[in-house]
Amino acid sequence: MQILFYILKRILQTIPLLILVSIISFFIIRLSPVDPLAELKLNPSISKETLKSEEIRLGLDKPLPIQYLKWAKGFVQGDLGVTTTGEEVSVKLGERIPNTLLLTLVVIFLTWSVGVPLGILAAVNWKTPFDRVLTVITSIGMAIPSFFFAILLLIFAVKSGWFPVGGLTSYNFNEMNLPQQIFDIVHHLFLPVVVLFTISLAGLQRQMRANLLDVLDSDYVKFARAKGLSEFKVIFKHALRNAVNPMITLLGFEFSGLLSGAALTEYVFQYPGLGRLILEAVMKSDINLVMASLMIGAIMLVVGNLIADILLIITDPRIRAKA
Amino acid sequence: MLVFCKACIRKDISDEREFKHDVVRTETSFNFPSEPKNIVILGKDLLQSQAPIGKFGGEMILSTIGEGPKTFNPFTSKDSTSSTMSAMMFDGLFSTSPKDGKIIPRLAKSYETKDGMTYIVHMRHGINWSDGVPITADDVVFTWNKIILAGLGNTSIRDMVTIDGKLPKVYKVDDYTVKFVIPKPFSPFVRILATQIAPKHIFEPIVKQGAKEFDSFYSTNTAPELFVTSGPYRLKEYLAAQRVVFERNPQYYMVNKENKKLPYLDKVIYLIVGDLNNEILKFEGHEIDVISLRGSNVAPYKLKEKKSDYKIYNLGPDTGTMFVVLNLNRRKNSEGNYYVNPQKQFWFTNKDFRTAIDYSLDRKNMVQNIANGLAKPLFTPESLNSIYLNKSIKGHERNVAKSKQILEKSGFKIGKNNKLYDKFNNRVEFDLYTNAGNTEREAIGVMVKQDLEDLGMHVNYKPIEFNTLVNKMTTTLDWDMIIMGLTGSPLEPYDGKNVWSSMGSLHLFNQRTEPSQIEDRYPFEIRLDEIFDSAPLKLDFAEQKKLYDEYQQIIYDEKPIIYLYSPIRIVALRKKFKNIYPSQLSGITYNIEEIYEDKK
Repeated sequence: MQILFYILKRILQTIPLLILVSIISFFIIRLSPVDPLAELKLNPSISKETLKSEEIRLGLDKPLPIQYLKWAKGFVQGDLGVTTTGEEVSVKLGERIPNTLLLTLVVIFLTWSVGVPLGILAAVNWKTPFDRVLTVITSIGMAIPSFFFAILLLIFAVKSGWFPVGGLTSYNFNEMNLPQQIFDIVHHLFLPVVVLFTISLAGLQRQMRANLLDVLDSDYVKFARAKGLSEFKVIFKHALRNAVNPMITLLGFEFSGLLSGAALTEYVFQYPGLGRLILEAVMKSDINLVMASLMIGAIMLVVGNLIADILLIITDPRIRAKA
Repeated sequence: MLVFCKACIRKDISDEREFKHDVVRTETSFNFPSEPKNIVILGKDLLQSQAPIGKFGGEMILSTIGEGPKTFNPFTSKDSTSSTMSAMMFDGLFSTSPKDGKIIPRLAKSYETKDGMTYIVHMRHGINWSDGVPITADDVVFTWNKIILAGLGNTSIRDMVTIDGKLPKVYKVDDYTVKFVIPKPFSPFVRILATQIAPKHIFEPIVKQGAKEFDSFYSTNTAPELFVTSGPYRLKEYLAAQRVVFERNPQYYMVNKENKKLPYLDKVIYLIVGDLNNEILKFEGHEIDVISLRGSNVAPYKLKEKKSDYKIYNLGPDTGTMFVVLNLNRRKNSEGNYYVNPQKQFWFTNKDFRTAIDYSLDRKNMVQNIANGLAKPLFTPESLNSIYLNKSIKGHERNVAKSKQILEKSGFKIGKNNKLYDKFNNRVEFDLYTNAGNTEREAIGVMVKQDLEDLGMHVNYKPIEFNTLVNKMTTTLDWDMIIMGLTGSPLEPYDGKNVWSSMGSLHLFNQRTEPSQIEDRYPFEIRLDEIFDSAPLKLDFAEQKKLYDEYQQIIYDEKPIIYLYSPIRIVALRKKFKNIYPSQLSGITYNIEEIYEDKK
């Protein structure tokens, strides 16, 4: 009951936040001197009348506050509007979101199922050669910029011919049988996943290691050891439960990055996700599309934090008591 | 990010510069088979390809750069990718010959006209849409009266055929004959007649629902099986940001010399790639079969051609033109301020000043260093492959001394440290814009700046974002000099009317916003208006040519826009494809129904 009340309070708090985010982003995009009709205007075969009717269709002839209110009204009613080329924004996003989710979920699953255990192992084997080798490897992972690594792998794909050059499926995907289709997707996903995995693994592993080291040094762990508990119990029952809190907060952020976190890598690998779509929309000042993606980003961030906070309440009795 | 990517690709491929000259020197001889012939088989009027007989089957994979098509509806498309895709599926009544640009039959069998005002179009008997419904005069009349002339979708065709405020009239004579009547002779009309035709039985219910439904009809969300087409292909699959797959239309009306139904290729696939670099990688990775090559990429490809499975074709100068435009605007904006500072107006409206700029530009250097030799210097507004090109304009070499002489004669003074002052002792200093991100134009900007600084001008060179630049150019009008490029039609100078007529929506060098502003036309603008009003009324090619020659001469003499060069189009295509007849006018895959894959 108390948790439900807490969630409701948090949701109410986010409403003014979202309104503020939408106003700021709307006006920043609209006040920049970018013309959504630029390409049409530079086409010698498009007449003045056509340009005029396009302006009216997109509502560009109205003052800015009215444009904003029109957008906001539609958004609240669940209508994301149309792009400058007349396609439904919701349809465009719907085409891409599953692809982006596929990529980010695979990456998050892999990094967490590898990164957390590696962090624990490194902390337990602190200052052993194993820990040092891992430190070197993760440092490399953290130091490589993601787009650069992506380009290197792309060139590797071309030269070796072992991997397809970007994309998600082969052109004859529909003629394949199910195992071939699965293989095709894995084949295409491999390189982008390697890039994202390498980079986020490093951070996650370091975080886990640092948290656990902190806790291992504390009095209650020493006490647990002193009273003769097995090393396994000391680590998994006493240390780990206390070290996991910052990881939960991190998980909340991972959630907010589900849709936007891989944009750069998506672009380099020509992955048919949201990254490419949003980049082009921003360049063309395609307001409805940009606004929709910004709002989704903001909502995901709020929801991610909320989930993290709720998880913290469940896992940590200290926070529960305070709330 | 893109710069990085390009750098790694370039480094990766050995740079053999001497080969680029070879590419330019290979004057491709364009050999074409004879034009397709109208034939009658079992009472059906078919079109017989005269190209060598090929093998059925196979597929060709092409690419399109950007976000892919926005729609498959030929009547609502406003961008070239969407038009390319709809052209795969919808044929026009006529088409143009890849050899000389003449009108050749397509969906229609022939046309006749006596006075240039009434056109009788004869349709084919016994040809069908892809769902088996016959293609008849009803479809043509419906398309013209209910879609094009009714102002649905993209209205640019309607705007073009509005003659003296009147629209053409379209009548059905019988099931296979259509009559078009226009108020007065208008030569571009025949080419406009070539427009694609919609299946009446599919489009009629949508048209009745209104403009909004029409705009979203045959969009990228329409299920592929719903497409009813007249062209060689129909849609099989569309995946956003990934690919468009076309399969052959079994009802297509073209046959080969053995009277077997074309097209040869079972499938044509367009991969949607985000940028040029990725396209190159995909070609190297054998994921696509055709690629347009630019500048520095040509040499390494030419070098590897012998050992490779592709052949390089030189299509000659393309329809793109690079130019520098000056702002000759003398008007004030709505707030009462001059668009262009009066001090600068005094320079830009001075013909000698513009001539001096023209003579100082080193086009050869640009062609060599920016386009890697794969371009030709350009002095005319019509592109070099235009059938209306004024060949008597020979152009000139760079001549800085002459430029300085002209400037001095006109009252400009070159002061100490080679700085140029006008006769009121103002330092000549102005802004030069181009769109950032286009590496070619950015490089031209650097060279133009250097060339102009040799004359003592101070040029503030500012590459800015494309959409912002266009906004400056067409709306806020607060610019001095811009480097831009436009593509025109090699067959119809009248398509440039929006650029050259003084009230045009893209009258770059003196953009007007209100009709009343026509009063302050320069004398040469008045003559240009006359030419663009009268030339389309002439039906004789020679008479038209004379007028269009004059317009090119005027632009060359007055230099409101100074042309720099036209890039040469180079295409690499896998050798396994046969029946490839590259054309200066139509490109390389225009005869997609005749192309076949020779599997060995």
